[in-house]
Amino acid sequence: MFALALRSLRKRAGGFAASFTALFLGAAIVMAFASMLDTSIRGNASGAAAETLTIMAAVVGSWGLVLVVLAVSSTLALSVRQRAEEMALLKSIGATPAQLGRMVVGEAAVLAVAAWALGIVPGLLGGRALLAMLHDTGQVPESIGYAFGPVAPAMGLGVTLVSAVAAAMLAVRRTARARVAESLADAAIGETRLGWKRTAGGIVFLLLGLDLAVITSTVLRNEGDAAMATAGQADICAALGLALLAPWLIRRIAGALAGPLRLLGVAGDLAVSTLRRRTGQMAAVVMPIILFSGIAAGTIYLQEIERDAIRAAGLLSTVEQKNIATLNFVVIGMILVFTAVMLVNTLLAATAHRRREFGQARLAGATPGQVLGAVALESVLLTVIGLVCGAFAAAFTVVPFGIARAGTALPDLGPLTMAGVAAVAAALTMATALGAARRAVRVPAVEAVAV
Amino acid sequence: MVGSEALRLEDVRKVYGAEGNRVTALDGVSLSLPAGSFTAVMGPSGSGKSTLLQCAAGLDRPTGGRVFVAGAELAAGGGEAALTKFRRKRIGFVFQQFNLLPALTVLQNVTLPLKLAGRKADKRRAAEILGRVGLGDRLGHLPAELSGGQQQRVAIARALVTEPEVLFGDEPTGALDTRSAREVLGLLQEAVRMYGRTVVMVTHDPVAASYADGVLFLADGRLVGSLTAPTAEAVAERMTHLADEVERQRALAGV
Repeated sequence: MFALALRSLRKRAGGFAASFTALFLGAAIVMAFASMLDTSIRGNASGAAAETLTIMAAVVGSWGLVLVVLAVSSTLALSVRQRAEEMALLKSIGATPAQLGRMVVGEAAVLAVAAWALGIVPGLLGGRALLAMLHDTGQVPESIGYAFGPVAPAMGLGVTLVSAVAAAMLAVRRTARARVAESLADAAIGETRLGWKRTAGGIVFLLLGLDLAVITSTVLRNEGDAAMATAGQADICAALGLALLAPWLIRRIAGALAGPLRLLGVAGDLAVSTLRRRTGQMAAVVMPIILFSGIAAGTIYLQEIERDAIRAAGLLSTVEQKNIATLNFVVIGMILVFTAVMLVNTLLAATAHRRREFGQARLAGATPGQVLGAVALESVLLTVIGLVCGAFAAAFTVVPFGIARAGTALPDLGPLTMAGVAAVAAALTMATALGAARRAVRVPAVEAVAV
Repeated sequence: MVGSEALRLEDVRKVYGAEGNRVTALDGVSLSLPAGSFTAVMGPSGSGKSTLLQCAAGLDRPTGGRVFVAGAELAAGGGEAALTKFRRKRIGFVFQQFNLLPALTVLQNVTLPLKLAGRKADKRRAAEILGRVGLGDRLGHLPAELSGGQQQRVAIARALVTEPEVLFGDEPTGALDTRSAREVLGLLQEAVRMYGRTVVMVTHDPVAASYADGVLFLADGRLVGSLTAPTAEAVAERMTHLADEVERQRALAGV
């Protein structure tokens, strides 16, 4: 099965590009930060400097693991699902679920090692830049020079390999267990319903976010740093909860907007039907938008409230506060990069998957422009749904932290941050969806519908 | 309507492939079909039947020659959008694989061509046509909830709702069981006899061809014969000897 894994990687390099990108970015970022441990050990750092370096490496390392597992499991799950027919075929000629599992895990492991090897140089350069920044802000003394290895490459390989294998095992579980006839049928319909596990998970995450928000604004009201820790996690929990409930939200919102959208003509008509009946695929696109906008807006506003509170008190930021700020920005940066990869990958896959449907619409009389119009409207709706949910999730951080640090639930922050986050999310969604759809309608309609 | 011309092809050629590797799919086909006729196009695999249908229906552009649908010429220039507008004004399709939009209900599928053309989506009329094809009680169903024969009847209703000059069928019974196939052919026949539509159907099935008023035989990209008031036996007999006939015609032409 390992030989088959290698062959399939070589023959279908394109299908693995997204997983590879996520692994490569993960490896480079984790190694850049892990090299702070090498720097600390080699430079005999002590006191605050040692603490700064260790915290950087540990926090970003563990966040990196979580994010890479999430991003890679989303990209791998898609590439496995798109190969559902191939999997069913392998099963029908006698491959056991364990053998299929080994094939997919083998592919992921090879990808991880390659991504790690390519990530070493960018990781090294990134670490050097990070240390230079810490020198500039005075968080680490100039006397401590840069060092890379042995911890950084070892940690990089560990994180990349573990997350790839874990993600592959998650992705393959469902496909491999289904029976042959079921997977063939699944490949034809490809629809998922919101199961009770997912609903329960969504509600639990939302309640957790609510809990953290309440704790921040009550118990931890006068504890600056502790409030920041709980507030910073509240929006992440809320965003995860909403992302899990996305299919339900989309169905509800599409139902509520059906009337006004129908007034927009045939594009509105098609968009409503797609949102209602292809909720699973649409939710896969909305999820990264919610995570992206919720976490980004929440964390940036959190940092702004903190900065204003320190200034208002007439204090200068301490090394520890600077560390927290740096870490916060690095972690959101990572989250943003990974959710952006997830968003683009999901959209590309979802749109390419609809080539046949676009062909059918054109045979029914739709011009390429009308197909693109419907796709554009869908993308706008998905972006708006994602951003509204994201803003709602960000409020789980902003409101309680505002109460705790600024004494008001609505701190005066200006809409600029949210507008920036929204613009990036909208640009990514629209450009990817329309680009992919344009490519899909360039094929003659009769060819596009040929199975 | 009867007596006027619904479809005319003048020396239509279609060549695929690059220099040095050319395949001539259509080698100068000319034909004229009157409005209100039901014509089957038959030929062995690779004879060019599908290419003929795609060129005549504006799904593909011929390499040479001219195509007229109800007197309007399929313009050689213009983009995909121009071709689409030409098609949706004059032509209806029924395919082997139905090609209904999976996310739309039966009724929505039937009104879609009207909406796309910016015409009034007359739901009553769409429902009436669906009733005529025997699906009056399935308006809110999704295609996946219907049998193959029912899906094809939805496709026929969708093709008829725009009142096209010509309705093209590409192996419309190819994916159906015999009974559903008979129903679908009956509906096409009814569209011609009762409502004066013009139907052109590509098929490889002599029984399907026997529902038509006339059969055109195609081989190696050329029209090589025709049959009026066909029976399944006569069509099958003709198909069996099509190769010999092509040989004889070539010998006569001195090729």
